[in-house]
Amino acid sequence: MTDEVLVAHRLLDEQIVDSDGHRCGRVDDIELTGSPPRITALLVGDGLYPRRLPKPFRRLARRISGPEVWGANALRIPWEEVDELGAAVKLRKKAEELGLGEGDNPDNWMVRRLPWN
Amino acid sequence: MKGILKIALGIIAALGGFLDIGDLVFNTQAGALYRYDLLWAVALGTFGIAIYAEMCGRVAAVTQRPVFDVIRMRLGFGPGLVALIASTLVNLLTVAAELGGLAIILTLLFDAPFSLFVVLAAIGIVISVALLPFGGIERIFGYGGLMMLVFIAVAFHQGPDWGAVGKGFIPSFSGSPLYLYFVVGVFSAALMPYEVHFYSSGAIEEGWTTKSLKENRLNAAIGYALGGVLACALVVVSGYLFHPLGVEPNDLGTVALPAQGAFGETGLLLALGGMLFCVGGAAIDSSFSASYNLAQFLGWEWGRYRGPKKAPRFTVSWLVFLFLGVLIVLTGINPVDITEYSVVFAVVALPMTYLPILMIAGDRSFMGEHANGKVSATLGWLYFALIVVLAIVAIPLLLATNGGGG
Repeated sequence: MTDEVLVAHRLLDEQIVDSDGHRCGRVDDIELTGSPPRITALLVGDGLYPRRLPKPFRRLARRISGPEVWGANALRIPWEEVDELGAAVKLRKKAEELGLGEGDNPDNWMVRRLPWN
Repeated sequence: MKGILKIALGIIAALGGFLDIGDLVFNTQAGALYRYDLLWAVALGTFGIAIYAEMCGRVAAVTQRPVFDVIRMRLGFGPGLVALIASTLVNLLTVAAELGGLAIILTLLFDAPFSLFVVLAAIGIVISVALLPFGGIERIFGYGGLMMLVFIAVAFHQGPDWGAVGKGFIPSFSGSPLYLYFVVGVFSAALMPYEVHFYSSGAIEEGWTTKSLKENRLNAAIGYALGGVLACALVVVSGYLFHPLGVEPNDLGTVALPAQGAFGETGLLLALGGMLFCVGGAAIDSSFSASYNLAQFLGWEWGRYRGPKKAPRFTVSWLVFLFLGVLIVLTGINPVDITEYSVVFAVVALPMTYLPILMIAGDRSFMGEHANGKVSATLGWLYFALIVVLAIVAIPLLLATNGGGG
């Protein structure tokens, strides 16, 4: 996708769905590179929540959610994986291929132990 | 014919989702204390929920976004998180109040201890949600709630001074903090945000598109209007019977008494049955609402239509909210007190969830030709101003009147 995007209006905090239409996170931050800046990746994960809060709350939030661990609670989804921007940000691949939506993944050990699985 | 049936079902669902323990408690007390004087505040609140619900339903049908999806987008993470925490606390209190209410109604119908019924009510809710599809849940509780129509029959049977009832719809003010507290109470009880959040997520659950906009308008206009008539009937029957006696109804059993006075045991059973379904439906709606809000804000998979296998986090958080509701009631706090707190705090949290919806409903880049027109926009902003004022005065009034205790 090479079009212009209204980053704050249409992309930041948007719902993400995978190629099967499963909801698998929200756009928690955006990676911009170069000048003029171009979107190079969507950043997703609860490890990124503290940096979204006003400064006085960040330390407390870090203590609750733990540090950012890239590949675990903070994921980088390259912009090339984005299929289209519509009612949600639609990805080209399945959530599990990108490490997204782990908490709803039936293979997750916690999800597997639920009584209805 | 099928279209008419579908619309009728939607209206019944809207009607069933309107009355809950907050209306039962506040409207009956308002009638007992101030006879028909607060009917205008009930009407104002009913009109408010119709406006808010219509906007939320329209936004969901057009943009496929439920309320907390919009909140996260328009407010961003930080302020959105504040709205989420406030709404979740209010929802938890509401779940507890509805479960407590269910248990009280059950103790009036059957002979067993209150705390046992709290647990049984929660188990009954889990079973009905596990067995029924989304539409079935809405319908069963909506149909059952129709038994509440007995209160309209009671009002006609009593034959009040209809001129005085009519005058109640003209706004009147008194400087008494208790009167103002009840203005906030009956308004907020009519406009509980969980009802609208549930309605909006329900629109996604049922696959609404722009073709559903007519259904949405009719649900909001007729469903909530009928709900408002029932809410007014509660005030009228209580005002007729309890006001002259100086009775202050402090328990749910008193709410059903006028029906017994008018139609004997049949009336009492209809009233209690209707209350049971309305409050049961509200327990489901409010607990679902808490779980919808959380899942939508965090981007999880959600919805009864996905089932527990595809939306495990949503399902687990729903069960946790229900469980916490049970724990709150079992602490022994009077469910009527929990109800009052949930209703008053609801209006405090309301502006945070109402504003983003109003913004997106008027945004042509999202809504296109279905964006708010001049009339909807004017009404929407007027109500926003009103809600902000009520949100500011609600807690001072709660403290000044000692929670309505005078």
